Amino acid sequence: MTPTDFVAARATYRNISENIAKIMRGQGAATRHLLAALAAGGHVLLEDYPGTGKTTLAKALAKSIDAQFKRLQFTPDLLPSDILGVSIFDQRDQQFHFHEGPVFTNILLADEINRASPRTQSALLEAMGEAQVSVEGERRNLPDLFFVIATENPVEFRGTYPLPEAQMDRFAMQFTLGYVSPAEEVAILTAQAHNHPIDELQPAATLADVLALKRAVENIRISDELKRYAVDLVAATRTATGVQLGASPRASIALMKTAQAEALFDGFDFVTPEQLQKLAVPVIAHRLVLEPQARFSGGSARSVVEGILKKLPVPA
Amino acid sequence: MKTPPCLLFATLLFWGWQSGMLLVGALAGLVLEAAWVFKWRWDLEDVDFNRIWSFCFLVLVALSGYIFSTNDEGGGLSGMVHGRTVHNATISSTVTYTTVMRSLPLIFFPFIVAQIYNVRSSVPLTAVSLVLRWRRRRGERSLAGHYLDVSYPYFIVCVFAAGIHPNQATHTYFWGQCVLILWALWMLRARRFGLKHWAIAFAAVVALGFLGQFGISQAERMVQNFNAQWMARLFGPKTDAAQSVTAIGQIGRLKLSPRIVIRLEPRKVGVVPGYLREASYRTYSSRNQTWFAGGSLNDFSSVHQEPDNITWVLLPRADADAVSIACYLNGRSQDGDHEGVLPLPTGCSRLENLPAETSVIALQTNKMGTVLATGSGLMIFDARYGRSATIDSPPDITSTNNDLTVITNEIPALNQVIAEMNLTATNDAENLFAVERFFASKFSYSTWQGPAKRATNASPVTRFLLNSRSGHCEYFATATVLLLRQLGIPARYAVGYSVHETSGSGYVVRERDAHAWCLAWNRATRTWDDFDTTPGSWMAIEGRQSAFADWLSDARSWIGFQIAKLRWRQAHLRQYILWTLSPVLAVLVYYIIFQRRTKARPSKSNAAMEAAVIWPGHDSAFYRLEKRLAAGELPRPPGEPLADWLERALAEPALASLRRPLQELLQLHYRYRFDPNGLNDREQEILVQKVDGVLATLSQK
Repeated sequence: MTPTDFVAARATYRNISENIAKIMRGQGAATRHLLAALAAGGHVLLEDYPGTGKTTLAKALAKSIDAQFKRLQFTPDLLPSDILGVSIFDQRDQQFHFHEGPVFTNILLADEINRASPRTQSALLEAMGEAQVSVEGERRNLPDLFFVIATENPVEFRGTYPLPEAQMDRFAMQFTLGYVSPAEEVAILTAQAHNHPIDELQPAATLADVLALKRAVENIRISDELKRYAVDLVAATRTATGVQLGASPRASIALMKTAQAEALFDGFDFVTPEQLQKLAVPVIAHRLVLEPQARFSGGSARSVVEGILKKLPVPA
Repeated sequence: MKTPPCLLFATLLFWGWQSGMLLVGALAGLVLEAAWVFKWRWDLEDVDFNRIWSFCFLVLVALSGYIFSTNDEGGGLSGMVHGRTVHNATISSTVTYTTVMRSLPLIFFPFIVAQIYNVRSSVPLTAVSLVLRWRRRRGERSLAGHYLDVSYPYFIVCVFAAGIHPNQATHTYFWGQCVLILWALWMLRARRFGLKHWAIAFAAVVALGFLGQFGISQAERMVQNFNAQWMARLFGPKTDAAQSVTAIGQIGRLKLSPRIVIRLEPRKVGVVPGYLREASYRTYSSRNQTWFAGGSLNDFSSVHQEPDNITWVLLPRADADAVSIACYLNGRSQDGDHEGVLPLPTGCSRLENLPAETSVIALQTNKMGTVLATGSGLMIFDARYGRSATIDSPPDITSTNNDLTVITNEIPALNQVIAEMNLTATNDAENLFAVERFFASKFSYSTWQGPAKRATNASPVTRFLLNSRSGHCEYFATATVLLLRQLGIPARYAVGYSVHETSGSGYVVRERDAHAWCLAWNRATRTWDDFDTTPGSWMAIEGRQSAFADWLSDARSWIGFQIAKLRWRQAHLRQYILWTLSPVLAVLVYYIIFQRRTKARPSKSNAAMEAAVIWPGHDSAFYRLEKRLAAGELPRPPGEPLADWLERALAEPALASLRRPLQELLQLHYRYRFDPNGLNDREQEILVQKVDGVLATLSQK
């Protein structure tokens, strides 16, 4: 990996980021998190109120990359075979043919993922964990770039199924978009006066560029001391008060990889403590299961991780 | 706090009133109720509650230990080992129990304060239970997050503590607690029942409670009155030199405990006195079955110690036989010192190895052979004795109530018995022999007395002599004394102990070995001789009652004896206990407070061992800069990364001009620290130089 590769990778990131910024006004941080997860090979869960632009962000990313994009609207009657694919008997040649489901794509938007039953949600476990699916006893690999953006709505309880812990753990990051400032909202209104700008969005990077970006991220250096810091951060969640289930080693891995991506975006060739700290909440918080008592007394997973960040001495 | 406002204040006030600590109760209540006014709160963690609870518990244990070991009212350690009466054996536990129970609201006051002034108004369940805490420590996560509001339990504790030794005459406690409980329950009542139902239910409970406690106190009084004399005997511990109330005429079984009260160690193997006499009496009153020492003979005169300060001479002669005696004094003199009658062998002439001042304050004797000692609770001494004159006065045959007086209403029965014995002898010795034989052949030993078969006006002694012919030692001794007197032999009634049970190289005397016999005047030797007509089977019969678990109480008694020896040889034991307790408490308190630190130490040392792996770049010159800036008003919290901290520092106008060089320095430092490729020598030099430059600029400013 030469310095020019890093420069090219950074250019890819900048291009995609600027392309998305045309659509997603005032969501620079969220875009950055999204791209960090993409470059680190993780998946993203967007949790926010309806209308904040979750789907738009996902679509903008998909459009910015010249890659295959599929969108899956999760509904209560969705079945695992609707995601993975199914073998259908062809009367002409008297044989079963496997019809790939929407999971066979580069970027998959799993919209309102918590509307499907846990049975259907679990269909994604293998795909997200190992980039492969096993259907009818046969293993099928997914494309090199396989990126899931799932969205969910936190305010609804009726007709929704909370994601199982195992599924939550498969997401490298979970973050929210939040409402934008009034000025930016006015700009959004102006931009959408005639038609949606997303329709005119052109790809800013090819699939190869993104794969190169992923390779560059893998080559960002990280010292043993910071690996240890990441492990300590994650381990601290397992003993924190009010936490029933702490984060897994998968969280440490995700934290390291996304921090590498973040370092690349920051223009570093190596990871610094700030990048680990910046990503600790979106990477770790959604994996924690709090004790009911802690939840009722106003505690949140986010505050637990923030508390650990404050308490644990950071390498300096 | 879930209790309604002012309930805890009222309860503590009530408790203070009932237990004589009104001011303390009022202050404690005010502290608790102030939480309604002041809104500030502590933010205590679970572990803090664990510590506070442990502290309260330790105070409880230490207080119990201190009170138990030092309370002197016939209790304490000496009370435990006395074993002389039921009363003394239990009083120390009772005193400890009542004092500790009464102080419960104060002991657990820190705990309730911690809860009430905490952000979360409940305490973790793991704090109050060591078992749960232990299970939690073993990793049972399910226990986490269980919280308990202890304000109602504390309320119950206060009400309970106020009820220790209430004033029964006025019933203030009963009605006071009724009001408090009404108040507390009112707030908790189930709303689905009407007020009427609730009031009726509460009134019913109050009525039942009142009747219950009234009934209990009535029953208690009835039992106490049932046989006041017998109770007086059981609960009135000490031998009185002036009178001996006997159990003659009482119906039922006479029970005595197997507790060890005296220990003997013969100086010469096998030579041990058969009886240890405590006192003797002259006059019998058949009206209340009591023997009196009577008249001026009961007056005591002091014995003075010899110049060596450890010897007390009762009779000026040198006897060969000696026995070491250990006994307890369980009476009280007017000055509050321990006082009691010493059990001594007949013909005791001197007491040796009995230090004046430390053991004995005063030693007195009377003409009835009683030796009264005042001093420490435990007496250990050597008694020298021989078969010759005793300190008793010779028989008095001149005064109205003399050593030959027989009460008139017993005379017919005595004469009838004498006729039955068909005495032919002319001298005293043969008469004594005949009397002994008569009792041995015609009478039996029994601790059981049935009611008279038909109504009769006959006295108990008459019934014993003519009808039942069975009884315990007091019957035999009383009857014998009267019989001998009727035969013209001066006689006295003696009480003390029979010595017959060996234990190791010595002898032990149990409470049930208490005995009564008679002293017969020997005209030939001019001495008082022990004359015992109680059938020898009495020891076997008493021994048969010994319970299987006696060895346990014997072992306890032995341990208690050793402790008592320690205690009474040490005049300042109380201070010693306090001084011993305080460091123990201090160590425990230290342990509680620093428990987390000590527990964390192993993992810390683990971390320290790992920290021994020195991460690259620890010698970066940038740290000098950080130290310099942090020394000002910019300390860096442990969780804040350098970049964020530097950004904060650069917000200071004084440093604004240094923004660029400082950020470059940080980049270099970061590469040095966190880039696995690190810095080359040249870059390291640049880092040092730049830091020096910035430091120089800073010092100029």
